[in-house]
Amino acid sequence: MNAYRELLRALVDAGVEFVVVGGVAATVHGSARFTADVDVVYRRTPRNIRALESALAPLSPYLRGAPPGLPFVFDESTIERGLNFTLTTSLGAIDLLGEVVGAGPYEGLEAHTQVMSVLGVECRCVDLDMLIHLKRAAGRPKDLEAIAELEALREERDTGAQR
Amino acid sequence: MSQDASRVRPDPVIEAYKKHVDRTLLRENLKLTPDERLARLEEMDRFRDALREAGQKAFR
Repeated sequence: MNAYRELLRALVDAGVEFVVVGGVAATVHGSARFTADVDVVYRRTPRNIRALESALAPLSPYLRGAPPGLPFVFDESTIERGLNFTLTTSLGAIDLLGEVVGAGPYEGLEAHTQVMSVLGVECRCVDLDMLIHLKRAAGRPKDLEAIAELEALREERDTGAQR
Repeated sequence: MSQDASRVRPDPVIEAYKKHVDRTLLRENLKLTPDERLARLEEMDRFRDALREAGQKAFR
């Protein structure tokens, strides 16, 4: 079971700077498609890496798809030496992205975000134009339907705003 | 700006896929708050787990 909102709140409560992207961001904008994990782009600063460790370490993070028993420790050193992590946690699956194709690191996304309220706390979500741009930049055939839906969503939203 | 390219130059492949999008679902979702949309996603997730469990029991 994925507790998407609790996972986001854990990040906010620990003071992590991040932007929600991917399927959860699509849901936030109104997508009807299903997703099975939370994708976030996090800022790669020492302070933020510490905050990330503090947010997720209590949630038993582990490499998704890896055999059990590997000596994986989710700490500052691991995060500093890596970039993107696909993890399972006690609150569900999360992908931590240090960079994303089409925008680069967190700083490249920051200006293209909207603040949303989740379980009473505020966090940043990529805006719909940038989400479409990121999906297109990824260039994955499996995203074609998702891009079509997001563009339809934008049309519906724009049409609704004009009514 | 680059992220607005899809507004300026529609992709014919995407336009073909777009014809099959169920816009009634989108219109319903647009009536909800972002928090309500995420709550609905969590409900779907629980439902999927329940279906999976039921399937495992039934076809064991």
